[in-house]
Amino acid sequence: MTTTLPAAPPDRAGALEPLLDVRDLLVRFRTHDGTIHAVNGVSFQLQRGERLGLVGESGCGKSVTNLAIIRLLPKPAGRIEGGSVRFDGQDLVTLDESDVREIRGRDIAMIFQDPMTSLNPVLTVEEQMIETIVAHRKMPKADARARAVELLGMVGIPQPEKRLKSFPHQFSGGMRQRVMIAMALALEPKLLIADEPTTALDVTIQAQVLELISRLTTETGTSLVLITHDLGVVAGMTDRINVMYAGFIIETATTGELFDRPSHPYTVGLLHSMPRVDDREGDPLIPIEGRPPDMRNLPNGCPFAPRCAWRLPICWSDNPPLEPVVPGSPVVASGPAATHRIACHNPPTAEEAVHGHPSRPGHVPAPPPAGQLDELTSYAALADGGVRPEHLQVAPAAHDIDHEVPARHENAHHHHDGDDHHGPEDSG
Amino acid sequence: MIAPAGSTHGSTHDHVATHDHAAADILLRVQDLKVWFPITEGLLIERHIGDVRAVDGVSFELRKGETLGLVGESGCGKSTTGRAIVRLYKPTAGTIEFDGRDISGLDGKELQQLRRRFQMIFQDPYASLNPRMTAGNTVSEPLDVHGVGTKAERRERVRDLFSTVGLNPDYAVRYPHEFSGGQRQRIGVARALALDPDLIVADEPISALDVSIQAQVINLLERLQDRLGLTYLFIAHDLSVVRHISDRIAVMYLGRIVETAPSRELNSRPLHPYSVALLSAVPIPDPKVERRRRRIILKGDVPSPVNPPSGCHFHTRCWLRERLGNPERCSAEVPLLRPLSTGHAVACHFAEEVDGSREQLQATGRGGADAMPAGGEAAAEAVPVSVPAAPVADDEALLVASPYATPQPTEAGALADLRMPLQPDPPAPARDARDET
Repeated sequence: MTTTLPAAPPDRAGALEPLLDVRDLLVRFRTHDGTIHAVNGVSFQLQRGERLGLVGESGCGKSVTNLAIIRLLPKPAGRIEGGSVRFDGQDLVTLDESDVREIRGRDIAMIFQDPMTSLNPVLTVEEQMIETIVAHRKMPKADARARAVELLGMVGIPQPEKRLKSFPHQFSGGMRQRVMIAMALALEPKLLIADEPTTALDVTIQAQVLELISRLTTETGTSLVLITHDLGVVAGMTDRINVMYAGFIIETATTGELFDRPSHPYTVGLLHSMPRVDDREGDPLIPIEGRPPDMRNLPNGCPFAPRCAWRLPICWSDNPPLEPVVPGSPVVASGPAATHRIACHNPPTAEEAVHGHPSRPGHVPAPPPAGQLDELTSYAALADGGVRPEHLQVAPAAHDIDHEVPARHENAHHHHDGDDHHGPEDSG
Repeated sequence: MIAPAGSTHGSTHDHVATHDHAAADILLRVQDLKVWFPITEGLLIERHIGDVRAVDGVSFELRKGETLGLVGESGCGKSTTGRAIVRLYKPTAGTIEFDGRDISGLDGKELQQLRRRFQMIFQDPYASLNPRMTAGNTVSEPLDVHGVGTKAERRERVRDLFSTVGLNPDYAVRYPHEFSGGQRQRIGVARALALDPDLIVADEPISALDVSIQAQVINLLERLQDRLGLTYLFIAHDLSVVRHISDRIAVMYLGRIVETAPSRELNSRPLHPYSVALLSAVPIPDPKVERRRRRIILKGDVPSPVNPPSGCHFHTRCWLRERLGNPERCSAEVPLLRPLSTGHAVACHFAEEVDGSREQLQATGRGGADAMPAGGEAAAEAVPVSVPAAPVADDEALLVASPYATPQPTEAGALADLRMPLQPDPPAPARDARDET
């Protein structure tokens, strides 16, 4: 069951149409400090029953993508400025607010990182669950209550009859997340979006919750979008993964393929900067130098270029599109045969991906054009041993330690952070 | 006093002391440390109605130049232990011997003088820096407090410290909000280094940072240890990070240490049922490995430290106890931390049963999904490995298949490797991983 991008039937809700089809999604936040380019033309598809991981660091646009899909962007700052989101045959971007509200909860459910902020602290779990069920299903309250008890039992809450009367603060963190899952699945949604569902939880509780999400979505055939920064979590939970950076999908592949053959320098970097509980003695971590770009002021070229050891001169000027790793192969956008695609001018070879740094003779990361940020030769990178000359086989370009123009540039923005616009946050 | 700068890993660990290792090698010895927080009732006349037993009898040693990882879930007392050691809390009982001197009862001037030698790095780089002080003043404050050097010397020292931790010395005049999270944590590290300490207690120093920044800070801490001969007590909830940075690991559960072992040993052969469960819960970023592993899902939450379970604190959630038919001993008798092999100590009455068990093999990713100990002698006690269909009762641990797991054949070699007999031997000084390489 695969759909090729060009051949996707536009309007028929047939077996071939994916459950979710996001195209060229563009999200902007207009703030006093300038426009935040949160999502910059993201396209992906999701089949029924498929489990998709969305991976990236904070600020990479993974959460915003999903808030845009369910039309919950914070207003008035956040706006969808382009693209379409087809869900089950309807375009969610152009749909009426009231129709979207119908779909939310009934067809698309969400679980967020912090269950305490998603549950109403002054209502009992019973009131909240019955409210959700009755709002979408016309059923008597008694039936809704019976369903709520059943659901709490399903997610493994002991004595569900009794616990239904409890307030959210009377549950532990793991139990609260179970309540959220029970509510999310109350209406048998077609799609479950879980945004960092276990980040606030301890690791043994995380195992409980992930197991629960996995079991329930498999049983009901619910599609899953799992948003996380943890590559370990998606490795076990998903069929396919999109890696995001600076509001772009920079690599997409089936889960097995992505870990077997990571092909974007950022993905390779992520895998080498995370210690593994099963790694061999003395495997050093190779950090990704610097930090993600300022989303108000994205570079023209590849957004990862300032931190990338593989970069070429073209990377500073042209942002590469998402294309098959094997040039010219047909694009399958979803399902188990999905094409492995990356957005990179100079992808690491398989061997380089294993070692975590470029090893081709004579390669030197292209120096930045004047005034551009270069994280590889930033003060911290050089002090930490950064891009070690032995990795490059050639000494790095003569950037001397005082060459801190880039850092000033980045800090100029941070100066704004402390200004009056964010004043209330600081004092609050 | 022994100059810390002179000691490197090689020199401190080379002499294989057997009985007299207590002498120069040990920097910190914690014995039966208890930190209880009283719960009181009543406004005018406060009545003592109970205690939160955050740390309830913890003992360990830390040698010079070594990194001990203290790992456990929230509420297990690992941070309280760290804070008691730098004497941010006064211990309720027990001793903390720092370089041969008991500091558990010190206060006033004496404590302040000694504090130069142990410093702390905090988790939240946003909360642990004063927003109204420049980064330079923050780093120089310990020097001011202890009256080190002249003003000009202190300024020079701050510049040195900035370059040591990878910050541009010219940034000393900036305020915390002008730095990113990773840079702020570097400021915290520079502040901790200001007085040339011997011991640094790092309490979750990277958990607040983004994934790509975490490795930068880990590498920085490792580089500083090599260069300055520092000793670390590294506290974290993330077993993979602790595994990476530590020579030895101590696993805590509900105020007590349940297992200590060289870090490689803990990850390849955990011997406490809780360590096995903790290890099995850590996701590994490799779908092939994940398919081979199974998680031990512990039922329920950690019990309250106000009223911890009797006997072994873990017995209410223990998968092994269940397997063994709930022996009385677990709830009646507090298990002592006993040495099982070199440098490996476990507080479990039945730790021998853990070694070579299916759970242990699966948690370490060595066993196939339905791997059994070779020979099939354990077949009789085989527990059906299945996904629970209904909510499970309290106090029950379940071994469930990762939903994405498909049974895979076992590698016989890996199994044989793990079934070495346990040799209980006297508490010899733990050889750490660094020595062997």
